Amino acid sequence: MDWLFFTEVTLAGLGSGALLSLTALSFVLIYKATRVINLAVGEILMLGGYLFFAFVTALGLSTWLAIPLAIAGGGLFGMVVERTLIRPMLGESSISVLMLTVGLGSVLIGAVELIWNTDPRALPDFMGQTPVFIGEAYVSRKIAIGFVVAAIVIALFLLLFRFWRGGVALRATATDQAAAYSCGINVPAVFSLAWIVACATAAGAGLLVGAIGGISPTMGVFGLSALVVVIIGGLDSVLGALVGGILIGLVEAWAGTFLGGEYKLVTTFSLLIAALMIRPYGLFGTVEIERL
Amino acid sequence: MRIATAKETYIADEGLLVTATQRAWMGVLIAMLVLAPFVLNQYWLYLACLVAINVASATGLNILTGYTGLVSLGQAAFMAVGAYAVAFLEGALGTPFLLNILAAGFVAAFVGVLVGIPSLRVKGLYLAIATIAASFILHFVFTHWVSVTGGVRGINVAPARLLGLELASPFALYFVIVPITCLMVLGAANLFRTRIGRAFIAIRDRDISAEVLGIPLLRYKLMSFALSSFYAGVAGGMWAYFFRVVTPESFPFATSIFFLAAVIVGGLGTILGPVLGAAFMTLVPELLKYVVEWLGPVFPNAGAALSPVRTIVFGALIILFLVFEPHGLAEMVRRVRRFFHLWPFRT
Amino acid sequence: MTSLNRRQMMALAAGAGLASTFPGLTVQAQEKELVIGGSIPLTGVFAFAGVAIEAGISDYVKIANEAGGIAGRKLRLAYEDTAYKVDTSVAVFNKLTTQNDIHLYYGDSTGFAKTINEELNRRGTIMMAGASFGSELNDPAKYPFQFMAGPDYVEMFAILLEYIAKTQPGAKLVFVNSDTEFGRDPIEASVKRAKATGLDVVAQIVTPPTAVDVSTEVLKLRRANPDFTIFHGYVLAPLPEFMSQAKQLGLKTKFMGTFWSMDNSLWANVGAPADGFMGVMPYRYYYDTAPDAPMLEKIRKLRPTYQATGYMQGFLTAMLMGEAARRTLDKGQELNAKNLKAALNSIKDFDTGGIMGVPVSVPGNSVPVGRIYQFSAADKQMKPASDWISLKK
Repeated sequence: MDWLFFTEVTLAGLGSGALLSLTALSFVLIYKATRVINLAVGEILMLGGYLFFAFVTALGLSTWLAIPLAIAGGGLFGMVVERTLIRPMLGESSISVLMLTVGLGSVLIGAVELIWNTDPRALPDFMGQTPVFIGEAYVSRKIAIGFVVAAIVIALFLLLFRFWRGGVALRATATDQAAAYSCGINVPAVFSLAWIVACATAAGAGLLVGAIGGISPTMGVFGLSALVVVIIGGLDSVLGALVGGILIGLVEAWAGTFLGGEYKLVTTFSLLIAALMIRPYGLFGTVEIERL
Repeated sequence: MRIATAKETYIADEGLLVTATQRAWMGVLIAMLVLAPFVLNQYWLYLACLVAINVASATGLNILTGYTGLVSLGQAAFMAVGAYAVAFLEGALGTPFLLNILAAGFVAAFVGVLVGIPSLRVKGLYLAIATIAASFILHFVFTHWVSVTGGVRGINVAPARLLGLELASPFALYFVIVPITCLMVLGAANLFRTRIGRAFIAIRDRDISAEVLGIPLLRYKLMSFALSSFYAGVAGGMWAYFFRVVTPESFPFATSIFFLAAVIVGGLGTILGPVLGAAFMTLVPELLKYVVEWLGPVFPNAGAALSPVRTIVFGALIILFLVFEPHGLAEMVRRVRRFFHLWPFRT
Repeated sequence: MTSLNRRQMMALAAGAGLASTFPGLTVQAQEKELVIGGSIPLTGVFAFAGVAIEAGISDYVKIANEAGGIAGRKLRLAYEDTAYKVDTSVAVFNKLTTQNDIHLYYGDSTGFAKTINEELNRRGTIMMAGASFGSELNDPAKYPFQFMAGPDYVEMFAILLEYIAKTQPGAKLVFVNSDTEFGRDPIEASVKRAKATGLDVVAQIVTPPTAVDVSTEVLKLRRANPDFTIFHGYVLAPLPEFMSQAKQLGLKTKFMGTFWSMDNSLWANVGAPADGFMGVMPYRYYYDTAPDAPMLEKIRKLRPTYQATGYMQGFLTAMLMGEAARRTLDKGQELNAKNLKAALNSIKDFDTGGIMGVPVSVPGNSVPVGRIYQFSAADKQMKPASDWISLKK
């Protein structure tokens, strides 16, 4: 066994796992507040990448201005979607809303293809090139930066949920909507907030993913891996997103290296089914008790 | 205004076509279906066959999702199982056409039951995701079980033969595909007049209540998966004879979304819904082509925008139907019918 | 049964009317015309190539018509967008063939070529070529009425291997391919071929089709430490990331690719990390000013800006189709698949006007000729790195 190689692979897995966690966080935020699985997260990720690309290349903004703008663009998109599409669907069956987000994703892909066509593109480099070495182990610089950013954002979220009024309001809404209402929490505002923050997070994750793998209208499939993460971690658990992301990142890296690239997806999806059979609501998800 | 449709027996009340108007329309429909191959050219016949195949699969998905309330995003994978079953039987054993189609249904039903096993523990959206997982695992099997599936290259399928005739053109296939689909839709319509169908509906409305009423959940849920996959398998089998090559990329994940969208656009939990929905969703992209051609002189680049516009329209249709017509095309048809029933009075 | 009332009669009448007004779109075939049908992916994942292919075929049609057409017949391209989906391609095929009298057809993918093959054999009236270089199609027994205007993927690898064997005998290789039909196509055969040529394939890396992050693959590459890394099954991503990470790690390996990842403008956008990328290309590039390439001069006059590799592919495909049709018509034979294919196979040492650098023969279903080009980031151009290599069968 080549331990250095194993360490390097593991580090790479941790890095991509952190990106998965970040994207998964977007699923979790929306699900917690509004009980909607937003399958368009992958496409919002893509939107973030393309917005950044447009700001830098078409408008000629500096990268450091374009990054917050792209993230804000994602947030704005989330707000508009929540107000115009999701809120009218309140009370509809969960599958209807799920399909609504699928439709939304399709519209986004089409729009991106219409505006930027289907050519794969590389994002302007804003991360630098020099490789990072931890001890002797090599880590791709982009992956390392992705890991650090994702870790900071997730830590921030955990703190916000614990201490910030908005975060507490969101947790309250997730636990019991009616009770939250009666405590004077503005529930519709919480819905809006959740969508804004979640879509901004997804757009930010899109910047990182795009910087690593380039942007194209098909990059939204990354959202599918993140979906596996939230299902394994539990749809309404931030901790689940974190642990699940790291777990899937590691498993994908190990499977890809020691079994071969074609085994990546099948391993994660088998893991998903196994996890669901053992814990139907994910590792850290809230078990819903059904009563007549 | 229609009057005097009072029924005297339960049997009359349960009938599929209860009024003379309905029978007349059904007559028109059957006449059109029979005459169509002699009127339409090859292109429209091709589309007609494609619509029929999609209707069969969407009807199956509707049994599972619309009537039993179990959301599946694996319909394309079950179709693929059927298509591979046909390709394998045709290539390796050379068994007759109709037997292969039937076998495709049963193989798919078996795989459907396997995939359905988690449905007792896993519910709602988690189940939908589990079916996604199952379809990716099946995709892996298709690419790697080379001795049966031919790996990434897939299998070429010999043309279907029936009574010594070779069914290779859309014209010839129309005469087997459309009747099979009609039979399947009829079967689905009748299913919900039986105990099994009623049990499915009870499970959809509240599974715990259904269990209390004495419906064994596991058995009926698995039965629903089996039936739904059977439909998908037969549809996939017809698909294999229609396109005559099956590869792992023949049934991408997007196809599963297509079928769920077709059922929703058509109307969940109605017999008419998936028929209308599948026809509508299959034909809209083709009709868009004509729109783009008309726009050609106005917007010279319209051709290049066709595919993105199709993607946008696909998504927009799902969104618009969910927001403005959640019960789908079937509800629109119902409204039109009600208008005529009550005419000259307002609804 | 009660008799039909008035509204039911109306309904019947309306139904019958609807049935009869359905468009019978068959257009009378015009005399003295030669139609090339095309399922071309103008949109979708393969759009970048499809747009160029369409331009290439139309330009050949234009040039041929200005020179008096094919044996007195005017060429015409009838095509529709397929979005690179097999079922759409088949729909387009059915539509175009009912509307036009088509004997030559351009198809867009391996999947389509396989799907439609039975239909081609059944009809026996159409010869087809296309954007696919799938090695499976290079079998005149199974695909009697199809061809490709270049080497198939296995032959592309063979050209690369021949080049490597010449420049660095016994070199260590790594094959990187995507886990798709396209990506897996030549790998198995090429591993054997490499062994036979005395080259050593030290590792094979497969990337899942959705791969974004390639750092674990790069780590594997670093362990294998090959002299040459050959990519197949990609257009662009994730090649640049692969190459820049490998450069960061100080790997000495040279990166190579096959035809569809050889477009000049794609790599020009990548910039510095693309420097040194090599690959096999069966055609000359748009900007090539070699003296024996008068056709490129003509193309540059027709289109003042750079045309992608797909352009040359489409152009040459149409040229070979046109030549086959000319030979068939000159002999006074009927235009059907058999005669067209026989005429195509009779093409020997044919001058393409410099689209290919050597005279072309089509012995079977492919034209096993290619040249190694290398990208120079300083000039933003692919430069020839070898002479033309013709594979001996």
